[in-house]
Amino acid sequence: MELTIKENIVLEEKVYSAVLDGGPAVYVLPREGYNKKYAIFSTHFGSIDNTFRAAGDGEEKMTLPDGVAHFLEHKLFDDEEGNIFDRFAAYGASPNAFTSFTHTTYLFSCTDFFLENFRLLLDFVQTPYFTEESVAKEQGIIQQEIRMYEDNPEWRVFFNLLKALYEKHPVRNDIAGTVESISRITKDILYQCYNTFYHPRNMALFVIGNVSPQEIVNEVAESISRRTFPPFSEMNRIYPKEKAAVNEKKIVEKLAVSQPVFNLGFKDTYTYMEGQQLLFRELITELLLEMIFGRSEKLYTRLYEEGLIDEHFFSEYTAELSYGYTLLGGRTKDPERLHEELLAGIRGIKKEGLKRDSFERHKRKLRGEFLRSFNSLEFIANNYLAYRFRKIDFFEVIDVLEKIRLEDLQKRLDEHLIEDLHAISIVYPFQ
Amino acid sequence: MISLESKTLSKKINIHLLPTRKFKTVLVSVFLHQTLEKDLASQTALLPAVLERGTREYPSFRDLKIKLEELYGAELRADVLKKGERHILSFSLEVINDKFAPGENLLQQGLSMLKNLIGDPFLENGVFKREYVQQEKEQLVKEIQGLINDKVNYALESCVQEMCSGERFGVFKYGSIEDLEPISPESLYSYYRELLRNNPIDVFVVGEIEPDKTFALVQDIFDFPRDAGRGDLPPVEVYRIPKEVRFKEEFLPVTQGKLTLGYRINTSYRDDDYVDMLLYNGILGGFPHSKLFQNVREKASLAYYAFSRLEKHKGIQLIGSGIEAENYERALEIIQEQVEELKKGNITHEEMEYTKRGLISQYSIIGDSPYSLVSFFLDGLISQRETDVEYFIGRIQDIKEADVIEASRKVCLDTIYFLCPEDRKGGIQ
Repeated sequence: MELTIKENIVLEEKVYSAVLDGGPAVYVLPREGYNKKYAIFSTHFGSIDNTFRAAGDGEEKMTLPDGVAHFLEHKLFDDEEGNIFDRFAAYGASPNAFTSFTHTTYLFSCTDFFLENFRLLLDFVQTPYFTEESVAKEQGIIQQEIRMYEDNPEWRVFFNLLKALYEKHPVRNDIAGTVESISRITKDILYQCYNTFYHPRNMALFVIGNVSPQEIVNEVAESISRRTFPPFSEMNRIYPKEKAAVNEKKIVEKLAVSQPVFNLGFKDTYTYMEGQQLLFRELITELLLEMIFGRSEKLYTRLYEEGLIDEHFFSEYTAELSYGYTLLGGRTKDPERLHEELLAGIRGIKKEGLKRDSFERHKRKLRGEFLRSFNSLEFIANNYLAYRFRKIDFFEVIDVLEKIRLEDLQKRLDEHLIEDLHAISIVYPFQ
Repeated sequence: MISLESKTLSKKINIHLLPTRKFKTVLVSVFLHQTLEKDLASQTALLPAVLERGTREYPSFRDLKIKLEELYGAELRADVLKKGERHILSFSLEVINDKFAPGENLLQQGLSMLKNLIGDPFLENGVFKREYVQQEKEQLVKEIQGLINDKVNYALESCVQEMCSGERFGVFKYGSIEDLEPISPESLYSYYRELLRNNPIDVFVVGEIEPDKTFALVQDIFDFPRDAGRGDLPPVEVYRIPKEVRFKEEFLPVTQGKLTLGYRINTSYRDDDYVDMLLYNGILGGFPHSKLFQNVREKASLAYYAFSRLEKHKGIQLIGSGIEAENYERALEIIQEQVEELKKGNITHEEMEYTKRGLISQYSIIGDSPYSLVSFFLDGLISQRETDVEYFIGRIQDIKEADVIEASRKVCLDTIYFLCPEDRKGGIQ
């Protein structure tokens, strides 16, 4: 099997890759001198993929109860003998998994017995074993996971904001679903989703650590060759048509918190983008947010000194294939005033224009932070695949960042941060 | 493994270098040790926040941030740590390697900012600026009150505060609102001068560095007056057999109950059998293969999380789990059964081996992160057990089942704390 090598001179990193015939894309980043080895196996199937036409033409459109992708993630850890935690434990590995809006990732980290652990990862992700009993048992566990999040104010305020921004897009639904929706999940639904979305062509692997790329690719090839798969058809994910306007202006809830928790979101005007174009949009928006709300900007200092925000205040942009939004948030003593101040801050920037020195400085900062995060093996692996599902080469962040001009941000400011397209969400304390 | 090169300056300042080419950054951490004490805690906790507001050269937070962004987003932070009964001021600087920013001298410039942050704060009339102190007091009050927002941690901290109410360890990391109240710019500044003058200081530098040059650069940070007068900080109190188990329940408008059990393990990090206790904790609740995860979650489906963890310096073990309030008794019973199983020696060969391998993996990867390296060596300094990772790995390999059972005999239940949904009031005893 021929390996492709891609080197990034700035990052001083080399990625080896191979796309196996009918199989998943495999990426390996060797890091000598590290004891930790980290491997992830991801499928492009997340909580938003809840309506689709299953493999094969003419299949009927099916809509899933909320929380199936996450439920499936939990159940894949089972096999006929119980759960596979013990088998990883036998090799000193630490396995885990997570489900996001857009993908599901299985992983382990270890220091010894890498190949044994890697085979185990390949095996358990490719061997579904669901029974009615084990599905029922998992409902109790996931119910408690949902309850835990129900008591988490940051989580609640965020999902309420998404519900305010989106009328129909499934990003508005909790990733784990609700206690009610998971009670409707059956083993048949799990198998159906598994067969549709866990096709090797919809999946990818990333391995990082002191490992041999060739050995890894051989293992994957061997594992794929032992199995048969139906011919792959790009599954037909169906997202409802989402209106441009926000769904609701404001959603309010009460929880046991010390002071109000606040989120403000701008819904992006939707145009399908992928690859470098999408990466460019992501980076210019992040830079723009830094230039308005960053810690070195006057607005931050003023709001902080007035006690309207604290050091937990944040701003971020999410750029996905089927949606995008800007999110601002934090704890505040006065959400109504903070709301006004943030909008006034944006109006002020629009009037004054963006400043070149601030632009250059924030660009430098993003570059340095990107390099700094390359100390973390998990950061590299997780992002590499998350970006790949959006057809972005993660290592291009550095080059694309350099191409950004101040005019790009000015344009983005006018087209994205539009008052009519924002919504807020507040969690108030009980009186 | 990366080895430590240490040097002690005449003024009770220890500098530890960890030269390695593994990382893309250089990390410099300065630790100023203080004892954890109710009367001091609020002042100690307030200091990093006030210091971060400005220095003589960079008088505002914004000036500092602008300079740091110019240094390619260098991280410069002041923070407070609670480790056992030590309350440690931590100052850290992380810059990307100079080779990534040709023509710059990031480490040198960063170190000069670190020096500013520690030794040259922004002053007004010879003390901390009044507004800075006032604003940070208000922010710290909110931080103390805000603990309740994170229910998982709130339940663990509440259990600790109940269990150690008469001990120094029971003092919250951020102090208390009542002790914060009387702090003035004058009192806080003179407290800080005292600390800088007298208390032990440890410095770590991890990354691609030239040792001799770095020693010189780091020494330059400490050009303020130091006394060698004051002795060592008091040791942590560890050993205690509770007379009876304490119960506390608290009602809040939440949906999930949080059950927390606090145990005295009567073993501290500096004790020889600490490693046996590590294994005990690992078998009980440190991993997915552990008794708690397997029995509370996988078999009984009562919880999403069920774990045990050690506070290594204080010698406390906490067990935490999020459950339906109506399952309180069942969950408590299953948890206590698991502890009993260990005491009875019902440990399988697999549990022993898997836990050993899991722990060895954890120790083996310490060298893969600059922050975990620093944290590991700092733990060693605090407990005067300066050893390396290989020592722990060797010891873990040699542990026998009998050692774990022996360790389990020292474990005593002290406190059961239950955070209960309000609508279940009266439902549990």
